[in-house]
Amino acid sequence: MNGRPADRTVVCMIEIEHLTKRYGKKTAVDDLTFNVKPGVVTGFLGPNGAGKSTTMRAVVGLDAPTSGLARVNGKHYSEFRSPLTEVGALLEAKSVHAGRSAYNHLLALARTHGIPKRRVQEVIDLVGLHEVAGKRVGGFSLGMGQRLGIAVALLGDPAVLILDEPVNGLDPDGVKWIRVLLKGLAAEGRTVFLSSHLMSELAQTAEHLIVIGQGRLLADTTVDDFVSGNGQARVRVVSPDAARLAEHLAGPGVSIASPEKGVLEVSGTEAAVVGQTAAAHGLVLHELRTDRGSLEDAFMQLTADAVEYRQTTEGASR
Amino acid sequence: MTAAAMTERPAPYVQPTQYKLSAAGLLGSEWTKLWSLRSTWIVLLCAVVFSAGLGALISGTVPTDLEIGGAETAVGFAMSGVGLSSVFVSVLGILVITGEYSTGSIRSTMSAAPKRLGVLWAKAAVFGAVVTVLFTVMVFATFFLSQALLDGTDLGGISLGDEGVTRALVGYVAMIVYLTLLAIAIGAILRNSAGSIGFYIGVIMILPQLATLLPWDWVSDVTPYAPGNAANTITYVDASGQALGVGESWLWMGVWLVVAYGVAGLLLKRRDM
Repeated sequence: MNGRPADRTVVCMIEIEHLTKRYGKKTAVDDLTFNVKPGVVTGFLGPNGAGKSTTMRAVVGLDAPTSGLARVNGKHYSEFRSPLTEVGALLEAKSVHAGRSAYNHLLALARTHGIPKRRVQEVIDLVGLHEVAGKRVGGFSLGMGQRLGIAVALLGDPAVLILDEPVNGLDPDGVKWIRVLLKGLAAEGRTVFLSSHLMSELAQTAEHLIVIGQGRLLADTTVDDFVSGNGQARVRVVSPDAARLAEHLAGPGVSIASPEKGVLEVSGTEAAVVGQTAAAHGLVLHELRTDRGSLEDAFMQLTADAVEYRQTTEGASR
Repeated sequence: MTAAAMTERPAPYVQPTQYKLSAAGLLGSEWTKLWSLRSTWIVLLCAVVFSAGLGALISGTVPTDLEIGGAETAVGFAMSGVGLSSVFVSVLGILVITGEYSTGSIRSTMSAAPKRLGVLWAKAAVFGAVVTVLFTVMVFATFFLSQALLDGTDLGGISLGDEGVTRALVGYVAMIVYLTLLAIAIGAILRNSAGSIGFYIGVIMILPQLATLLPWDWVSDVTPYAPGNAANTITYVDASGQALGVGESWLWMGVWLVVAYGVAGLLLKRRDM
């Protein structure tokens, strides 16, 4: 147990409390509150411009909140005596001087904390950049830049990893690699917080989800609950007695559509209920299946409201 | 999956504890950053070539029947290239900080040192030290080279022991270090390479010279105190005829550095990266 008291196992590593950030008149993050826990990969989902990057920058102290707090393990980031071992951050891929080599970029950062050259070499090997480590970063591809950014984040072997769109620009091998890497890091008890606007990517990597739109919190839930909660789960029924079954299923909150003769698409209820209803009335079923919505569907449904909200308020202010 | 397996999370990871952010670490980091850019080597090489080369060229082509002499002129001839190379190092000083903003590496830098001010001090200290060492060597080497070339003319035979000579040469080194430190602060305030270089050359270097052409007396009274002029007095072998005394010159250099770094530090703390 690493010598820590047992009650520390439920500690929240990243705490965002009523975080608001305005740039001039534009509100990037609006009264956002959520926690990120260690031990699992937490996804940070939202459309472009939703405030993901702003929130992440606030956590590592690059942007000062207009109001509210962003803390790591109970402290403001600037209070840490060794920031690189507390939080490793990949914020924008090209946060590197184009004229410097990857090795020297990492070395310069390592020296601030007295991290040895051995560790610099380790992270270079880990992200697969050993062949180009001595080359100037200006000639790097987007994918190589991302790998360097990940090496920077891992340099201090930190307890918390904050990665803004880490899969951007990675080839399929790279995407697979980072997925395994992040899950492994979380399994070691680290806090892994990664943003993406690619919902399918988060579905495969993350266990927990924070969803924001227009700088506001839309959902804070597990990936499974998010899909089943928002994804319009529908029950598809094929029955020669479809019309009679529909009569028996009808009720408040239940909507029934019949795309073709003998087929029903029922939402607002569960397959088990449909089956029991059919059995109770002696109706024959040929097919009974639940269609789960995809994470994309769930996400579109959830953010549609946020988009509408923006459009109506903009219309009102003119 | 059992209930226990579903609720059990791994024990929190404990990060390494032997690494600490330190002032020495920041100095080392800035040292690495400075020398890992090709532009540093190129610009400093240019500065060395121009200061020694121009000084030697001018000293070596003095006509033997020139009717002027004295330590003041001899030092002035020797140091004619130094003023030009001070522009090179000041521009490099600006780039030491604005280069981080233009490339985005400032975000990596400030994530590693979130208190921020230490980075500014480390940059000023490392680059200031490099310029001090380099120009101490350059100024004295150029002086001796120049005197060797001027041997036999009325400007020859000047030694470091002559009154005011060593002080003036040290003054040249100090002026360049002062202007370099000022340039770094301007870079930290404006954050943009082109804007900072334009401001430095236009407002700090040229404007005080142009201002003396203006018809109002008060302008000429004020210009010696301007940031770009404050260091002039200390480069004279005989400073008695200057608007500022030697002590005043040092004082105003200090004042401008405190003002520039005060503003730079305050803005660095307050602004988003």
